[in-house]
Amino acid sequence: MSETRRPDDLRAALAQTIVGQEGVIEALLLALLCNGHVLLEGPPGLAKTLACRSLAAALEAEFKRIQFTPDLLPSDIVGTRIFDQREAAFATVLGPVFANVVLADEINRAPAKVQSALLEAMQERQVTIGPQSFALPDPFVVMATMNPLDSEGTYTLPIAQMDRFLMKVNVGYPSRSDELEILDRFAVADTHPVRAVASLHDVLAWRAEAHSVHIDEKLKRYIVDLVAITRHGDRVRVPSESGTPVLVSELIDYGASPRATLALAFLARGRALLNGRDFALPDDVRAIAPHALRHRIGFNYRLATDGISLDRVIAAMIAAIPAP
Amino acid sequence: MASRTAAALALGAALLARPASAQALAKLTVESFTQSSDTTRPQSDVPFRLIVTLRVRERINRIANLELPILADLELLGDERETVSGPRGSQYRETVTVVAHHSGTIAIAPATLQAIDARDGRAKQWYSNGLTLIVSGGASAPPVRLRTLALWFAGLCLALVLAWLFRRRPTLPLPAPQPAPTVAPAQLAVAPRARSRRDQLQDALTVLCAEQSRAAAVRVRAAVWRMLGAGDGETLGDLLRHVSPNGTMRELLIALERSAFTYDDDLSAAIDDACSALEREIGSPA
Repeated sequence: MSETRRPDDLRAALAQTIVGQEGVIEALLLALLCNGHVLLEGPPGLAKTLACRSLAAALEAEFKRIQFTPDLLPSDIVGTRIFDQREAAFATVLGPVFANVVLADEINRAPAKVQSALLEAMQERQVTIGPQSFALPDPFVVMATMNPLDSEGTYTLPIAQMDRFLMKVNVGYPSRSDELEILDRFAVADTHPVRAVASLHDVLAWRAEAHSVHIDEKLKRYIVDLVAITRHGDRVRVPSESGTPVLVSELIDYGASPRATLALAFLARGRALLNGRDFALPDDVRAIAPHALRHRIGFNYRLATDGISLDRVIAAMIAAIPAP
Repeated sequence: MASRTAAALALGAALLARPASAQALAKLTVESFTQSSDTTRPQSDVPFRLIVTLRVRERINRIANLELPILADLELLGDERETVSGPRGSQYRETVTVVAHHSGTIAIAPATLQAIDARDGRAKQWYSNGLTLIVSGGASAPPVRLRTLALWFAGLCLALVLAWLFRRRPTLPLPAPQPAPTVAPAQLAVAPRARSRRDQLQDALTVLCAEQSRAAAVRVRAAVWRMLGAGDGETLGDLLRHVSPNGTMRELLIALERSAFTYDDDLSAAIDDACSALEREIGSPA
């Protein structure tokens, strides 16, 4: 069954269940193909959990959801050692992070120590509990969410930690027509469970394919230029709230790291594969650039005081580099 | 037809071999960008020169991202580039010696330059003027015309001598000799004639089929995009959204994109596909 399955079949299966969130579906699939993790920012009720759960179901993969709260402890995520009185020995209980698809809901509600435990697991793909290290399953995708509306009692993720996410996707409300379709599809009956359309082995094979997708030299230079402009923003201007053009260089504290360069290349390859190509195009880079860059650039206070949207700055920087 | 293809091959090889360094855009203040010819009426099989001149305010050693137009009707004989820098800026001049083998009208598309405009920091594309040249006669025509002119000139001289011999004595002093009028330089650049889309696609097909290389594919892609009015830095997705091309043109754009970005082992097949798509588009009703 799975030998002839393509990533697009997975996308089609998810689209049967999730309406109006193509961006989220694509982000999840790209994370899967590129062996990365996704940070989603958006208000509650936008099918983030459903998307995650459906992805796991479509792959017959294990799914776990962790609700981040201020009193959460690192051991609640990675696991702990408990003393078994009958055996008179310590036994290891693995935490919910040991799953193929992990939803870290409202990651910014837990203190830095807990965030750090998850982010280290994401980076190292293994967890050490007591004297023993445990490898996380493969594939392993973390989808973390943040709510932009309610910042009371939250702990902002440091940029260094954010950098570990392959992409950050802003989740918006569905369009009117999509919302009507949601009503038609889900108001009466429960959602239909997603049937399995591929296996975890397929995912590993797709990942190898994505790795061999060709990126032309012109495209590599384009990627490097895109990342470079986030570090200086020279001669790029965006209108402030009052309409006065502001130099982007005056808004930036620091730009994206070389990890962003790698992320752009990985994501361009993944998107090419998703679209049935074995070579990447400028469109691939342009489409994923905002998601790969938006959480990797440090902006100063002027962004807020001048009333400038972060995404507008990113769009201006991307537009300043002509596609090859 | 064979010589036409050979001409396209030679010119294509020379023009398409430029490095496609689209990303390394220089910051320039472009003052003028022109294309001219040393004659507006070249003779068939007689070499003439096309001259592209770019003046910028900056001091530069070389110019990148300047593209000459694709020409399928001329044979390239030589290409000379010269950059002169001074305190008031630089002048880049590229002289291409070419020859036409057939009489008729040749429309030459504008040369293009991609650079970052130093005035506002934005990446832009400049276009020179285009040229329309009328190639006349075969190689044997000039001697006949010269002979006719020589006969007319001899007759005129004889008439002047006779008139001088039988002239009346002048009653007024001869007017002071006037300085020789300054001969204005010939207007080399003539107004461009809009070439049909089919002509341009035919040129592209000739070049791409003759020179099956990545560089050719990239240049043909750029030429077709310009023909469709693509803006600076647009991607294929933008173009498809803005232009909404018909089926065959859409296929052509996708095939050219593949030729420009696919891996080396797939390049030959991709260019074959692009040539087929070009033929279909040329053959489709306008």
